[in-house]
Formats: sequence, C-alpha cells, structure tokens
Amino acid sequence: MLSKKILIIDDEPDVNTYLEAVLKSNGYETFSISDVENAMDRVKEIHPKLICLDIMMPKETGISFYSKLRKDKDFCKTPVIIISGVVESEKFNIHSFISDKSIPAPECYMEKPINVKKFIKKVEQLTN
Amino acid sequence: MKSLVVNKTPKRSENIHNLILKELYQQIPDNICVIDPDFNIVEANNNFAEHFGSWQNKKCYTVYKKLDVPCDNCPTMDVFSKGKPVVCDAIGIDKNGRKTHYIAHSFPIKSKRGNKIEYAMEMTRTVTETDRWQQEYHILFDRVPCFITVIGEDFRIVRANEAFRDNFGDVAGQHCYKVYKRRRTKCKNCPAEKTFNDGKVHHSTKTGIGKQGQKIHYAVSTSALMRGTDSVAHVIEISNDITALKQLEHKVIEAERLGAVGQTVAGLAHSIKNILMGLEGGKYIVSLGLAKDDKAMINQGWEMLERNFEKTTSLVKDFLSFSKGRLPELKMIDPAGLVNEIIDLYKDIAAQSGISLKSEIDNKLKSAPLDAAGIHTCLTNLVSNAIDACLMGEQKGNEVIVKVYEERGQLLFEVKDNGSGLDNEIKKKIFTTFFTTKGGGGTGLGLLTTRKIVQEHGGKILVDSQKGKGSKFKIVLPRKRLMTLYKETKE
Repeated sequence: MLSKKILIIDDEPDVNTYLEAVLKSNGYETFSISDVENAMDRVKEIHPKLICLDIMMPKETGISFYSKLRKDKDFCKTPVIIISGVVESEKFNIHSFISDKSIPAPECYMEKPINVKKFIKKVEQLTN
Repeated sequence: MKSLVVNKTPKRSENIHNLILKELYQQIPDNICVIDPDFNIVEANNNFAEHFGSWQNKKCYTVYKKLDVPCDNCPTMDVFSKGKPVVCDAIGIDKNGRKTHYIAHSFPIKSKRGNKIEYAMEMTRTVTETDRWQQEYHILFDRVPCFITVIGEDFRIVRANEAFRDNFGDVAGQHCYKVYKRRRTKCKNCPAEKTFNDGKVHHSTKTGIGKQGQKIHYAVSTSALMRGTDSVAHVIEISNDITALKQLEHKVIEAERLGAVGQTVAGLAHSIKNILMGLEGGKYIVSLGLAKDDKAMINQGWEMLERNFEKTTSLVKDFLSFSKGRLPELKMIDPAGLVNEIIDLYKDIAAQSGISLKSEIDNKLKSAPLDAAGIHTCLTNLVSNAIDACLMGEQKGNEVIVKVYEERGQLLFEVKDNGSGLDNEIKKKIFTTFFTTKGGGGTGLGLLTTRKIVQEHGGKILVDSQKGKGSKFKIVLPRKRLMTLYKETKE
C-alpha cells in the first residue's frame, strides 16, 4: 500500500522536524519546506493528501499561500491544517485575515504547541 | 442764523423765534408734554403721541403707565411743590403695551407774572435700547463660558467675570500673575504684556492654579482696550478652560500606551507558543529515539531542546529591555544630529552589502524635545530592518534613505528602502505580534519597541509598503504633543 503524502510548510526548521517525526512514526510520507514562495511548485510536484501550514512566515504569509491554493482548480480540495500560535483555536477565523468571503475556511486550525494525539486523529480523519 | 441776527427787527425777530420754537418742539428727538396741576396733559409733541399713544383728555399717569391713580414718587408733583426741575428715570408702557425705560426731565412753567407754577413740562428720552444693550453686555460678560478679565497697565485685575470668579475667586485689584499662577512676578512670555507693548492680539496656552488649588489649563487670548489712539490702557484677557481637553489628551496617550502593552502581551504569548512547539518537538524526538534506541535521533531531539531553551533566554532578555516601563527623558535636541549618528553607525554595514545608505535633512529644522536614546533605538530598528529587506529582496541597486523634516507642525523621521517589501497580511500583523520575517534570527520585538517609544512621545508610526518594491516607515511626532509632554515631565 502506498503511504499517504503530507506536505509541511513552516519557516521554523524545528517545527518541520517535529511534525515530520510525528507523522513518519504514524506511517505517513512527509515533505517539508521552509520557503513558502516555492510551496505551490512543491504541491504540484508531490500532490499531497494533506498540507500542514504555518501563518507567519517571511516574504509571504501562510494565509496568502492558502488563498492561492483554494483558487487553484487542481488543488482547491486538498485538506489543510493550519498550525500557528497567532490566535487561540476557538478564536480562529480565516476571514479576519482575508476579505474574500468566497474562500472557505481550512479543514482544521490547531494552536501551537499541538496535542499530538488530537493532531494524528485529525490527520487520519482528513486523509481517509 | 447769522443773516437772521443781522437783519433783525424786534417784530421779525419774535416771529422767527416762535418759528424756531415750534419747529424745535416737534423735531427734537425727545417726547415732550405739558401737564397741569391736576395731572392732565394739556399739550404734547408728535414724538410723545407716537411713543405713548393718544393723550388728549387723559391724565399723565394713564398715558405714561396706564394707571388709574398718580404714580408713587411723582416727579410732576415735585415740580409743582418745589418749583424746581426734577430728573428721574422710570419704566412706563408704550402705546403698543411694551415696557419702555425712559429718563424724564421735568421743568416748571410759571405764569407771566412769575409767581405761580401753571404747568410742568416733561421731556422724556427713552433709554430702552441702551439699557438692553447694557444688560446684554453684562450677561455676556458674566455668563459666557470662559474666563474674562480686564487688566490694567500695572497687571492688576480691574474686572473679572463670573466664570473667572468661580474658578479663581473674587480677585479684583490683585496682580493677574498672583491670581492665575500664585506667582510673585510676571509670567514668562506674558501675552498681556505683549498686547500692552504692540496693541495686537496674542495667544498662549498656560497652566494656572484655581482657588481650591486645582490645576487649570487654559488657552488665553489678549486684546487691547484703547482709550484714545495713543496707548493701550487696559488689556482684555479671554481664556478658555481646556483642562478637560488636556485630561482627555492625557488619557488618549495613556490608552495608546496601555494598548501597546496589551498587544505586547499577546505577541509575547505567540512567541512563547513557538518556543514551546520546539521544546515539545525536542522531547518527542528524544522519546522516539530512546524507544527505538536510535542515538542519532536522540541527539537531534536534544539539540532541538537546547536551541529552544536558548531562544527562551534571548526572548526574556529582549522582553525585559522592551518592557522597561520608563517615561521618555525629553531634552531639546537637534533631530538632524540623530539621523547623522545612525548614518555613521550603519554606513559600513550597508556598504559591505552593496546598499547605499543616504540621509535627507531639512536644514531649517528647529530642535525638539526628544528622548535621544529612544529615537536612536527607533531609527536603529528601522534602518536595520530596511537593510535586511534589501538583502531579502531580489532587486539590484538597493538604497536606504533616512529623512527628517517638518510638515504641518509635525516632526517626521522617515526610513525608506527599495527592498523586498511586505504583503498585505504581513502589514496587518507587524505591529500586533512578535512577528519576524527573519526566521530564527529575530525575536520580532524591533518594531514593537519602535512603536512603543514613538507612542511614548505622543506620536505614531505609519507604514507604506509594496511587495517586491520596498517599504517606507514614517515616525510622526506632533510638536504640540511633544511640548505638552516636555512641560509635564519638567513639572
């Protein structure tokens, strides 16, 4: 059986290492990128089943990448978990960051630091 | 009149005299009537009839005051009894039923033999208008919601209105500087003194002490009160109580300061969350390595733990220097000097990276009350950010320009670069979180610190940036606010 591909986008190498370790030990194939500007190319290259995305990154924010992804005809349905420390889970609202109301909310938002069990459960749910 | 005198004959002269009297009787702008001892009006001129209405076969008290009995203190009665002219002022009712205030001069008209007073002639002049003006003036002077004083050349208060008396006490005759500020000598830059010297209107903002010892902030205007054309005899001081406004301004500055603290705490939490994520990650990988007996993995996890502990240390250090809750130490300094210092500091670093660092200084700039160390930190942060933005950008021929100038009473510092620029989401967040675009290299405190210092100066920081084209950060410091803070810190 082919393992499920997950792309992690975070400028912080330690976060990438952590999430990769968690996902790999649960049987997923992981890819990580710390340069969000090239993330869309990576998506087209690896066709991930799920994307884990940070918000605050240099040059371009995760929100800006998320908008592009949702407007892309091939990848607009790819599930996204936003993992950030910007706001608390219950207060997260994508439209406080982007004015375009046609862009749907991400499948999941998780506040840093993550709860590993809940994270894996969500990943399983979104990749099945 | 001269020809009348030259050509006079006794008969002709008498005729002319009668004509003049007749004309005078009708044309004089006073109301004239003749009253007999029984208070009957026997004659009256046109003005009288026009003002008080028909008088024929009526008693004087009926015509003047619409009464059925003689008035108390009747002047006509005095004329008949004493045989002397009487002057009085009274309030009557005119032909339209309106109150009319008049001054009456009553004279006796004696018989031809001169031994009997046959009539009393009354000349009345209405003063209703003048009286109303005077009343209005008094009301205006007393009730207008600002302080008004009339000050003499010796700086003693001649008159003060009600608002002034309520706030500063009944102080006529005292020196204005003693009353306003409890001083023994004249104030510096006294606007009243300037008006005494040049006769022009002068304005100033001052802080005085009220009768209960309370601080009163007021904006004062002084105008000359001239008697004749030569010199200023008195000065009128009109002051507006701006204490509430000052308190509001103070509250706004305070709210901005507290707002910055709130956002700082939120930003701090964001930073800590990132570090915790790194620590959790390290712990997870160490555990995983132990479970798998994988030494390389244990090492990787351990390094992650060490790195994030170090980050905690540097965050705490930066935060402590940021949160130094001190008031800016304002001193009158040359803003251009600060810009030159920054250029000297960064010239070599910029040159090594192929960036041209320039300054544009307005040479006419006056000194301003600034916290030199604070503004130095702000400019350091902005210039170092601008250099980083140039390094991150893809353009060639990068430059950073530091400007200082004045516009509409505001002192402006500007740092402009043609580096990477910021996208819209980043622009929204740069001042609200510990946001950094420098990966692990920054704590995200630079711009927050800058904004905090600027707000402590009563100013604001504006950003104009376009992704890929560059950014412009502007520190706007209103001179008025700087002066207010300067005075406050001195007091």
